Amino acid sequence: MGKIAKLAMILTVFCVIASGSLAFVYLFTQPKIETNAEKSFEMSLREVLPVAEIFKAAKCSEGEAYIGIKGDKTVGLAVSVAPRGYSGAIKMLVGINADGKVIGVKVLDQRETPGLGANVVKRSFLAQFCGKTVKDEIEPKKDIDAITGATISSRAVARGVKEALKTAKECK
Amino acid sequence: MSLWKNFNQGILKENPVLRLMIGLCPVLAVSNSAINALGMSAAVAFVLTCSNLVVAAIRRIVPDEIRIPIFIIIISTFVTISDYVMQAFTPDLYKALGVFVPLIVVNCIILGRAEAFAYRNPVLNSVLDGLGMSLGFTVALVSIGVIREVLGAGSVFGITLFNPAAAATIMILPPGAFITIGFLMAFLNKLENKVQ
Repeated sequence: MGKIAKLAMILTVFCVIASGSLAFVYLFTQPKIETNAEKSFEMSLREVLPVAEIFKAAKCSEGEAYIGIKGDKTVGLAVSVAPRGYSGAIKMLVGINADGKVIGVKVLDQRETPGLGANVVKRSFLAQFCGKTVKDEIEPKKDIDAITGATISSRAVARGVKEALKTAKECK
Repeated sequence: MSLWKNFNQGILKENPVLRLMIGLCPVLAVSNSAINALGMSAAVAFVLTCSNLVVAAIRRIVPDEIRIPIFIIIISTFVTISDYVMQAFTPDLYKALGVFVPLIVVNCIILGRAEAFAYRNPVLNSVLDGLGMSLGFTVALVSIGVIREVLGAGSVFGITLFNPAAAATIMILPPGAFITIGFLMAFLNKLENKVQ
């Protein structure tokens, strides 16, 4: 019994030292991690909706979006969607201008196959969605060129853009 | 002489990846580009050297029965530290490495060196062993990363060398990692046979 108590005590001491040093590092790095996340999200918003000066969270009946404002005019919406890809959700932002046209698409986070599905982040693929409206088909092999060997990922992104256009109609 | 040997043996003679064949999981997963390989190597080097240092320093006060849980606590503490630091200062690299940073905890190179070397040797030798093993891991991982990136994506460290359309995509997919490691091991064996 005495031996077990002694071992438990030693282990406890190690755990306390370990958690103490982790708490210290956490305090030191956390603010930086948070500003990084905010900054990179705002940069992405600007990328899909370059005309806007400031962004405000929009009220939507479904989904999540940000209103882009320039001066006192609403110039568009940046809709956040996450369609299911080949392996997990593809988080993306779709910029839609006041006329309901897609003007920018950016993939924020994805876990598609490197070299195949992961190519959906490429500008050459995403640029095809620009100018599409809710009336367009937006489907690979019809009005969109799919990425070779990555039909599922391409289809997912197309579905995401479509969903964003639908969401945008119900946002204020 | 012995100190030099502690450092030296991890690089080629007992290269963790190509000779001991341990820690292959991150090697297969993040060696699809040279920059990812380098980032992963840096994180592993930090964790391995620090854990070797601490394990060697406390080896006399650690009871034999609970040495493994204590090693794990030490290793996971350093892994979490490197995880936070990378997230704060190199967010892009952190995103590329993803889940493989936390998974350094279960990388058997680190627990293996703590158990087989640092627990039985003085601090200085253990630190040198950690540095040598890290360098061996880096050499292996970066060579695999460079080979795969050149053949599979037509670039090296993100700099395009030739049209990516002419590259063999399979090399940046998992089979490419196995193929590359196999060839590198064969090459190293051939080299050793020649020396003998």
